[in-house]
Amino acid sequence: MVPVAVQHEKAREDDELLARVAAGNQGALSELIARHGRGLRVFAARYLGNEGDAEDLVQEVFVTVWKQAARFDPARGRASTWLYRITANRCIDQRRRRALRSFIWLDDVRDEVPSPEADAEATTAARQELAIVRDGLSRLPERQRMAVLLRAVGDLDIAAIAEVMGGSAGSAEQLLVRGRRALRDHLAMAAAGRERKSS
Amino acid sequence: MTRDEFERNKRRFGDTVETWPAPFRQQAMALMADGAGLDDDPDTALDRLVLEASLVEGDDQALARKVLARIDSDRTRSPFLPRFFLAPAGLAACAAAALLAVTVVGYQVARQQDDLQDSELLALASGARLTDDGGPGIVDEPGIGADPTEEDSL
Repeated sequence: MVPVAVQHEKAREDDELLARVAAGNQGALSELIARHGRGLRVFAARYLGNEGDAEDLVQEVFVTVWKQAARFDPARGRASTWLYRITANRCIDQRRRRALRSFIWLDDVRDEVPSPEADAEATTAARQELAIVRDGLSRLPERQRMAVLLRAVGDLDIAAIAEVMGGSAGSAEQLLVRGRRALRDHLAMAAAGRERKSS
Repeated sequence: MTRDEFERNKRRFGDTVETWPAPFRQQAMALMADGAGLDDDPDTALDRLVLEASLVEGDDQALARKVLARIDSDRTRSPFLPRFFLAPAGLAACAAAALLAVTVVGYQVARQQDDLQDSELLALASGARLTDDGGPGIVDEPGIGADPTEEDSL
């Protein structure tokens, strides 16, 4: 884990950046994007299962941050938690819109994040494992997937995950535990399947 | 994290460890702190696996440029055409308002026609003669609908 002092220092820097963003400093916004843009994009891409949607969504998130930075209150939580909360809410809205579109036009909504080097992926066990993890993630219930991604990608603790997802710490922990267990089961089943094939 | 993995991540994420994605950053810092590998617990290992499986290509500088371009385009957008009216929700609201207005106007017109028919029925019921166009039949009949002050004057 990152030492607590380092975490506090980073959180304080984020707070200062948001204060500068609220004052209209575009350089501060660029710095905030450099610090959190990648994590938010990875989170959104894997939650939505669509990299293009995630890119647009994260752009919208930072435009919102630009407009609403003055509303951020450091006393109520960390800046990273606030950013992930905005992103998570947008992701949920985006999924609802996609579900509606698929209902009306019978679109086939699938995981569209490309698996890098899909052919080569099968050549090594490590890449195969990553593909299995991606598959397992896409099969998780949405809230479990969100909790797992917030922990792994956003490095948020249980309290922050609960704040982002709008629930209690206990329910956030339950979601995380169930999500991890389901992923482990999925990995174990895949490993057993591979062993059966090889034998 | 091994030294090879550290070097590979350095090429992947850049020289500044502080800007690496969180679990990679944690391990890199642990490696730099004591030069040894990280003593993972199963959850941390799974989190790292999830992060590695989730990574997607992307350019943070390009993202920043796009965000700033959107902010600038929002600024230059005409204030006389609010963004709301260009959004699907705005268009739907405009359509609903137009439908409501047409309904109200149609109701008013229909009610005026009903009033006309009511006056005709009243005329019929009182034995008044109707004009061909069914219009001012009531006032044409003496004593019905006439001005009472005129009667008094007679």
